[in-house]
Amino acid sequence: MLEKVRRACDQAEGVELPGQSPQFPQYTDPVAKFRQELERTGGVFFDARQPKELPAVLTSVMKQSDSTEIYWEDEQLFQRHGLPFTLRNPEAFAKGFLVYSFHFRQEMKLPILLNSKRYERSELARVSLSASSAGLGVAETGSVVHEVRSGAGRLLSVLPPAHVVFLSEKDLLMNHAELFRSLPLGQYGSALTLVTGPSRTADIEKTLVIGVHGPKQLFVILTS
Amino acid sequence: MIRISANTQAALADQKLQRNLRQTLSKTLHSRNEAVSDVPNWEELRQYARDVKTHTLSRLADYLLELEGKVSEQGGRVIWAETGQEAVQFVLDLAHEKRVAKIVKGKSMLSEEIHLNESLERAQIEAVETDLGEYIVQLATEAPSHIIAPALHKSRGEIADLFVAKLGMAPSQDAVEITKTARKLMREHFLTARIGITGVNFAVAETGTIVIVENEANVRLSVSVPEIHIALMGIEKVIPRTSDLAVFLKLLVRSATGQTMSSYVNFLNGPRRNGELDGPREFYLVLLDNGRSKILADDFLRQTLACIRCGACLNVCPVYQRIGGHAYGSTYQGPIGAILTPQLRSLEEAPEHAYASSLCGACYEVCPVKIEIPHILLRLREKVQGEKNQKAAHLPFEKLAMQVWAWVMCSPSRYARLGRWLRILQKNFEENGKLKLPFPPFNRWIKHRDLPALPARSFKELYSSSEKQP
Ligand code: SF4
Repeated sequence: MLEKVRRACDQAEGVELPGQSPQFPQYTDPVAKFRQELERTGGVFFDARQPKELPAVLTSVMKQSDSTEIYWEDEQLFQRHGLPFTLRNPEAFAKGFLVYSFHFRQEMKLPILLNSKRYERSELARVSLSASSAGLGVAETGSVVHEVRSGAGRLLSVLPPAHVVFLSEKDLLMNHAELFRSLPLGQYGSALTLVTGPSRTADIEKTLVIGVHGPKQLFVILTS
Repeated sequence: MIRISANTQAALADQKLQRNLRQTLSKTLHSRNEAVSDVPNWEELRQYARDVKTHTLSRLADYLLELEGKVSEQGGRVIWAETGQEAVQFVLDLAHEKRVAKIVKGKSMLSEEIHLNESLERAQIEAVETDLGEYIVQLATEAPSHIIAPALHKSRGEIADLFVAKLGMAPSQDAVEITKTARKLMREHFLTARIGITGVNFAVAETGTIVIVENEANVRLSVSVPEIHIALMGIEKVIPRTSDLAVFLKLLVRSATGQTMSSYVNFLNGPRRNGELDGPREFYLVLLDNGRSKILADDFLRQTLACIRCGACLNVCPVYQRIGGHAYGSTYQGPIGAILTPQLRSLEEAPEHAYASSLCGACYEVCPVKIEIPHILLRLREKVQGEKNQKAAHLPFEKLAMQVWAWVMCSPSRYARLGRWLRILQKNFEENGKLKLPFPPFNRWIKHRDLPALPARSFKELYSSSEKQP
């Protein structure tokens, strides 16, 4: 079969592979653009570049998603986004939905489920809110990149009806040209997803319906 | 043999279909135009993408080899399938070997092209379409009528009725309710199926990555839960570099749905790796030829394979807008279907596709990779006519008629005289300004067209009479 293909294009007059990529837009305020685009798709944006905002932001996320617990992707998420230090104040979560802490850092008084080891599909299907950390974000389209790495999986960010993504400001890129210049395809894990807003369909009379097979709600928390 | 002409009358008379087409296509076109007007260098992007495609197609064998190498390196397996039958057989054998009873499927036009579902059904393997539109047409036991929006021909009411009848949904006309029902039902399927089958939008040769664009997350689930993932792609889907994706995704998404970006773009590099908590343990990439290398061999027609299946040419086509997708009687509809079907199959099998176009050129204008569809249509018509002429070397009547016509056209007075005669003659056949000619060859021609009667006075007469007036 390969020989057939080779013979078919043997004589073909090709053009050179274009070198210079066309211009992609630049923004003076990428955070504002990111927010605008994310909200356009039905996503919800929170600015927590001031670490002291984090407790209030998380409270709001849990309220909006009607959740009493969060399923966290991995421990690194806490370090990367400065969570252990800012959330030590138990009062921040004493507003009715402080249910239990789950075998991780009891003293944080944060309702937590950690996925490693106890990765049960049936449990995942029960969870109402999960959290992950985005490797990269793109202002042009309000997108975040979800990477699968060792110790993490593909399902956590897709099965629950609500998902919250932590994005640090230094990982926010301008546009897709920058993104695909630096996207580490296949380098760290077997799957990588560019996520732009919640799951949606327009298959019925082109009417937009949010939340088909994936999350109905997508929150993005920008950290510094 | 597929006869489009046999289907058009019914499609045109179907009031429901006409209403559904009008409503949905105008919405799609509107959002596409908005999304495109947002991009100042759209033309530059088109040309770039086209150049990448032209280049890749001219070295297709090399890029496919590179892709295979990278996929294998990452623990995936590449299957070369020369025909649809070979691809189907591979899936069946694998399902049997692994004793799989249920398969979840993401939307794949290629799977339609090779009639995979029918074969699975015959082998008593349950194949569940998980894309909502695709699921709707599966429930209705119909074929998709649009390469991007499979259930575009159906109204909300029709879909609701289908869900009530087949799934026992509580009566509701609400799109949200319908979607909820599908979500709940599909969850069960996702968690129990052992093979996930998807299509492929792009495959990056340098990294061995397959790229799948979607909105619903049904693909994400299909490639996360089952233990085996089979991706089906036509050999033309390969692109050389990761960096090219920026341009291709921008063009594809805006052209297809008018979004700035789809909800999910999946980049997959083989099966799950050590330490990863989920994902398929086996990954297979099926590279399908099924007539494509034949198209590749023609210097002009080769560009047909640059298509990224955005569906924009369907939405903008005045023929598709009126007859819908099913009338084409083939997997691919609209202008791209009109050029692809006779080439993938044969002109004998699809002799009318090249004629299902008014050659208005809108498809070329809208095509994000600048495929010269009208010119390709003409080339295919030439081929059809060439074959006919060869078969019927006679055609003395046509030849004679043309010679007479040429002789008349060469002299203004002869032309005017012919006009006068025809005006007298036509009185016997005129009805409401149209000519009814119930004898060959005219009766065949006017079966689907109106032949207006000649006006009472020719332009020349009108002109000279107005000159006389001051
Ligand atoms: S031919 Fe062009 S416009 Fe039509 S589906 Fe293919 S890429 Fe889109």
